[in-house]
Amino acid sequence: MTPELGHGAIIVAGLLAIYGALVSAIGGRTGRTALLESAQHAALGVFGLVTFAMLLLIYSFLTFDFSVRYVAMNTNLQTPYYFRITALWGALEGSLILWAWMVALYTLIVILRHRHNARELYPWVLTTMLGVAAFFLIVMAVPAPPFERMTPIPANGRGLNPLLEDTGMITHPVALYLGFTGFTVPFAFAVGALATGRVGDRWITLTRRWTIVAWYFLSLGLLIGGWWSYHVLGWGGYWAWDPVENAAFMPWLTGTAFLHSVMIQERRRMLKLWNIGLVIMTFALTLFGTFLTRSGVIASVHAFTQGAIGVFFLSFLSLVVLVSLALLAWRWEALAAEGELDSVVSRESAFLLNNVLLVAATFTVFFGTVFPLLSEAVRGVKVSVGAPFFNQVTVPLFLGLLFLMGVGPLIAWRRASRDNLRRNFLWPIAIGIVSAAIIFAAGVRSTLAVLTLALTVFVTATVAVDFVRATRARLRMGEGLLPAMGGLLVRHNRRYGGFAIHLGILVIAVGVTGSQAWSLHREATLKKGEAVELAGYTFQFAGLAARDAGNHFLVESTFKVTNGNIAPREMRPAKKFYPQEQSPIAHVDYRLGWVEDLYLVLGDFERDGSQATVKVQVNRMVSWIWIGGVVLTLGTLLAILPDRKKPA
Amino acid sequence: MTRLAFLLTVLLAATPALAQPPATNVEDPRLYEVASQLRCVVCQNLSVADSPSEMAQQMRAMVRERLRAGDSSEQVLQFFVDKYGEWILLSPRKQGFNWLVWGAPLIAVALGLVIFAIVVRRWTARRRERVAAAATRPAIDPAMRERIRKELELEGER
Repeated sequence: MTPELGHGAIIVAGLLAIYGALVSAIGGRTGRTALLESAQHAALGVFGLVTFAMLLLIYSFLTFDFSVRYVAMNTNLQTPYYFRITALWGALEGSLILWAWMVALYTLIVILRHRHNARELYPWVLTTMLGVAAFFLIVMAVPAPPFERMTPIPANGRGLNPLLEDTGMITHPVALYLGFTGFTVPFAFAVGALATGRVGDRWITLTRRWTIVAWYFLSLGLLIGGWWSYHVLGWGGYWAWDPVENAAFMPWLTGTAFLHSVMIQERRRMLKLWNIGLVIMTFALTLFGTFLTRSGVIASVHAFTQGAIGVFFLSFLSLVVLVSLALLAWRWEALAAEGELDSVVSRESAFLLNNVLLVAATFTVFFGTVFPLLSEAVRGVKVSVGAPFFNQVTVPLFLGLLFLMGVGPLIAWRRASRDNLRRNFLWPIAIGIVSAAIIFAAGVRSTLAVLTLALTVFVTATVAVDFVRATRARLRMGEGLLPAMGGLLVRHNRRYGGFAIHLGILVIAVGVTGSQAWSLHREATLKKGEAVELAGYTFQFAGLAARDAGNHFLVESTFKVTNGNIAPREMRPAKKFYPQEQSPIAHVDYRLGWVEDLYLVLGDFERDGSQATVKVQVNRMVSWIWIGGVVLTLGTLLAILPDRKKPA
Repeated sequence: MTRLAFLLTVLLAATPALAQPPATNVEDPRLYEVASQLRCVVCQNLSVADSPSEMAQQMRAMVRERLRAGDSSEQVLQFFVDKYGEWILLSPRKQGFNWLVWGAPLIAVALGLVIFAIVVRRWTARRRERVAAAATRPAIDPAMRERIRKELELEGER
């Protein structure tokens, strides 16, 4: 009974969403507020029904209702209760429910926040949001029904993909989907701006915080995904340039471009067309990513959530792109007003270059991701485009972006005078060059590492120069040091939030560079009692043990780790044997550190425990990536603080 | 300044310890270099160097063996291409049709820069015209202009 209720709720929600979208559009055209109110009620109804359906699916998971195919495929009787809840988004159908629920939730928040302050745009925003929700509900009603029954009813389920039994999996999809769906809001406002012809700055001011929030969740989702990859997949890395990672990275790149280019529009009333284009592109890329990876056209680690939904996504994507292009063409004259520029040495042009590089990076990632399809279609030859390619071609772009990260925030708007340049950049450049020399003298020979680190120092110095100067100015006004700094952060929260986010990115950049340049690997087959050395550590193989660990069988090795300075400790890399999986799954053991992580992966072993192969890694500076994520979070919080200057 | 000093200290303190040759397998740097170019055939998008799977372990053993037997890196790669096809290489060879994927980033950046240059030229020209047109009107006192410029700059830094 429960599954039928759930399926019914989804269908009714879908119909309501379509109704709400239409009524809201008509209300917008005719100005009849009663229609708008009806659409709002519909949105509330959609939210209630999707919540209901989601709770029903969770209920089915908690009660082991294996008559529901999705439950049977993603849990078994041994799955602990918390993973039964998160199994909701363990595969495609449930992810769609979560996705639709988030869109519905965002719609409600938009209604609450913007029904009065965005009167003209509002009906079209509502139409767009409900239209997107309707699409996800249709997908769940037709090609990917989460409540589909299964006969005969199995006695036990297949079980969750073991790789997903991890806390990272509880949070990674949620953050990522919040990011993906979050971009629906700025997109909806852009559609509203086009539909009403009010393509000025209003929609941008209204969506500033929305964009930052969506961007932040997307960043967080990517970082947690990296963390999951690092400590679960057992390959010692955090980013594999897998198609799904690329799919999530592309909207991140265009979203980043958008966050910067809107500042030019706010400040100089230029780039209207470009900004609307970017936000459409970002939203379209979130759909494209889903299509690419969920339809099974491209193989990826995330292929566990594929289904026959490709056609639906492709159709919806085409619809979104065509309607957007039509709207753009319709408003062309209002948008195409050209800008003016005083000088090429200005913040405007730094931001334009930032956009050039980000969009070029997006295109590179896009083309690299789809190239295997192209090659197969044209030449009939399968090729791979993987990490070595992407690292090689995107790194120069990212270095360019790092440089601009130092220039953009400090160079003057309109025209940077010689004085402005000297005041802001003389010291940072000098410090950057000196640090490059020191890093080189310290023995670092990788050009890439020297460049990245020196650029990082340069950018950090620009932030410091700005912050110190502004603090001094406040000190001269007679404020104390701490109040001066605090007041600066709060009053100019946008600027310093942005700086903090930049610093977070820098810390991540150092982590990425360090881990690429200085990590060490070694593989050894050891008899019991033998040891292998790496980077001053000794890893002695002390034996194997096997035991039943609930829903899997565990073979655990013990290694005694020593080096000159620290007390000996034990590490236990293991292999997990799941009944539902053909091959065992490596269970990494790791010790995180500020500068280096120890990382052990168990390979082959003799069943009597006399011998084992182990992959030993000393991964450098990886922790900096996670620390960067924390800094990024703080920066975002600062950037979205309510405005103190003029209370809304 | 203290924050900067702190960061610099951390960075510089960390560098000597880290001043080693780039990411590598300590037994034989070539092993990592070759294995990281090869796709682990049972994994999705993981290289033979990285993957924890048994298949990858066996493939690494093969790479090690061939390198010890005196093959060059290129010969080992070719061995795997003959066995599995071009698909085994994680970055497509720079030849023929594959130039397209290697060239795409360059073309994208070049195109972007050209558009940037055109836009900047056009927009600065417009600005100059407008300023020239405005110049025929009575000018503002230079001291006043300087004050405005300073104010704008201060504003711009906020």
